[in-house]
Amino acid sequence: MFRNQYDNDVTVWSPQGRLHQVEYAMEAVKQGAATVGLKCRTHAVLVALKRASSELSAHQKKIMPIDGHVGVSIAGLTADARILSRWMRTECLNAQYAHDRPLPVSRLISDLGNKMQVCTQRDGSRPYGVGLLVAGYDESGPHIYQTCPSANYFDCKAMAIGARSQSARTYLEKHLAEFPDCTWQEIVTHALLALRDTLPNDMDLTTKNCTVAVVGKGMEFTIHEDEEVAPFLAKLEGIQRRGGHGAAPAAEPAPLRDEPAPEEREPRPDSPQTMEH
Amino acid sequence: MEFFFHCLQTTLVAAEFPGGVVIGADSRTSTGTYVANRVSNKITRITDSVYCCRSGSAADTQALADIVSYRMAMHEIEMGRPAAVRTVANTFREMCYQYRDDLMAGILCAGYDRTHGGQIYSLPIGGMMVRQKVASGGSGSTYIYGYLDSNYKPDFTAEQCVDFIRKGVSLAIHRDGSSGGVCRVAIITANGVERRTFTGDQLFVPQ
Amino acid sequence: MSSIGTGYDLSASQFSPDGRVFQVEYAQKAVENSGTVIGLRGKDGVVFAVEKIITSKLFEQSTNKRIFTVDRHVGLAVAGLIADARALAETARTEASNYRADYSAPIPVRHLADRLGMYLHAYTLYSFVRPFGCSVMMAAYGEDGPELFMADPSGVHFGYYGCSIGKARQSAKTEIEKLKTSELTCAELIKEAAKIIYVIHDEVKDKEFELELSWVGEHTGGRHQLVPKDVHEAAERYAKAALEEDSDSDEAM
Repeated sequence: MFRNQYDNDVTVWSPQGRLHQVEYAMEAVKQGAATVGLKCRTHAVLVALKRASSELSAHQKKIMPIDGHVGVSIAGLTADARILSRWMRTECLNAQYAHDRPLPVSRLISDLGNKMQVCTQRDGSRPYGVGLLVAGYDESGPHIYQTCPSANYFDCKAMAIGARSQSARTYLEKHLAEFPDCTWQEIVTHALLALRDTLPNDMDLTTKNCTVAVVGKGMEFTIHEDEEVAPFLAKLEGIQRRGGHGAAPAAEPAPLRDEPAPEEREPRPDSPQTMEH
Repeated sequence: MEFFFHCLQTTLVAAEFPGGVVIGADSRTSTGTYVANRVSNKITRITDSVYCCRSGSAADTQALADIVSYRMAMHEIEMGRPAAVRTVANTFREMCYQYRDDLMAGILCAGYDRTHGGQIYSLPIGGMMVRQKVASGGSGSTYIYGYLDSNYKPDFTAEQCVDFIRKGVSLAIHRDGSSGGVCRVAIITANGVERRTFTGDQLFVPQ
Repeated sequence: MSSIGTGYDLSASQFSPDGRVFQVEYAQKAVENSGTVIGLRGKDGVVFAVEKIITSKLFEQSTNKRIFTVDRHVGLAVAGLIADARALAETARTEASNYRADYSAPIPVRHLADRLGMYLHAYTLYSFVRPFGCSVMMAAYGEDGPELFMADPSGVHFGYYGCSIGKARQSAKTEIEKLKTSELTCAELIKEAAKIIYVIHDEVKDKEFELELSWVGEHTGGRHQLVPKDVHEAAERYAKAALEEDSDSDEAM
């Protein structure tokens, strides 16, 4: 990354017509642990890799329920994600109260986009440093949306964000045609396989470090953690890893702790664990 | 002791004809039983092509008409074209409804615009707005409902319409103690506005 | 190609020594980095065509639409930062809604263009906000016939017979100037618009793109809508066929 005189404030355009502060905010998403979302014709699924800041602490929650029909998985600054989740929950509640029906996911997302855009345009605040994968089910079927700190959002067939997520996206693109006809259990397997591809070779998915969430026809947004993940992971046994992420850096910590390797990022003054997941 | 305000207990009539509208009113403003002004002009210009007839409290309706006229002047400058009659009527309606507990104003808003031709909007006390081909207002109007209903024809010429209005106001003046004086009339068409006044001897008196 | 402001270009509230506001010019650059949008005003309506560049196979086809409808009768097509454009579309919708409440009539597109232009301009005056990074085209068909306007990040807005914004706007402008738009109907213009997008699309730099088409005119009763599926397909076929002809004639030479 470069430093220049146009990257201090979000209210400054660069001569090339770019907003560097917004681009830097997008980097925060890339630092967070990976998360994958995909959908079939009847359900939408999120899986996420959790990190623990130390052996003594629990893994940081990555998936948050918003309403009965919507949930999000986060990558980036957890604190920002909590603020956005709280706002989304209030919006859903108010809509349910006013209209006696669940808030359509597309409406929620477009209002979220407009809300996030405001802080990309004025002094006094910074862009939200978190990317969301939103899984929802409403009258128009299942949805997966991706939101960015730039306030842009995308309606996706499938998506992966976070550290090393390119491998997951490659897996998803390869199998894109299969997803619509899968059952929800099958797409959970696909999602976990995609997620596994983001791990270094010497790490694997365990009941401690991953979460699964499903929403769909006749199923409210349900999060599966810890032991509940075991049956999903069992389906992965025997399926060869695609080769996933290549040679891990030499200073990779012991497999039990999923901290990101320090060499992968520029030196930062703050301790990484306090800021991002 | 009872306190009387200047009231436009009045007769207002308006009718559409192909090509425009004709509106008419009496000219009596009373404070209790005292006639404060026997030649008042209850037909007020809002824009060059939209006028209104006022009934109820003289103060309230004058204030309303001033405000609407000002807002419509701004609107016409911004839009670069004459205001639509419906827009003027709507501006009246917003205020009449919002301040309904404080105002006593019954208004007939009528005029001509390029899109929909001649239109009349009735805005009775309370803040309702409804478009009508023939409309009336004020205390004197109750005596001429039958006359208006049975004598109006949608294909009047301008002169026939003026005659219809003049007779209507005259008949109301004949019966309503709160209406009197002269009959003022305005004819609004694409070519502009023509004002006429029918003095006492020119009113219609039934035999 | 980009002139350097150095020192006078960090805030919208500062002029450079030669009287330019560089932050506004940089915002206009952001529009130039985006997919092309063209608007054509014809005899009986206005058409929009958008080159919507697809950045990932994982996205749904409907994502990131760049044509919006404001009220029922105004079409809004945008180029530049899509997040800014969405915020602007929301503002436009609020303006139209307030106009209806105040004046009991749909907002004239000329007036909406004025209001959006003033809104865009307001963000170019202060240091604590930045200019919008998007240009918007607005179109409607009403009493005054078809009308097309375009407002850019500086707030300047004009009425047009034919207009193009985005990365290939110069090539698009050349193509538009070959047409006599005021003599063509919407049905004819929609095909020409599709053709222009296909012609100016850069196969090398941006591989996949989706063509968005919309119109508003006498035949839609003054309502702005995305074109029906069969019209869309016919227009794309025409565009692709015309492209083939061009490339054939190149080979013949």
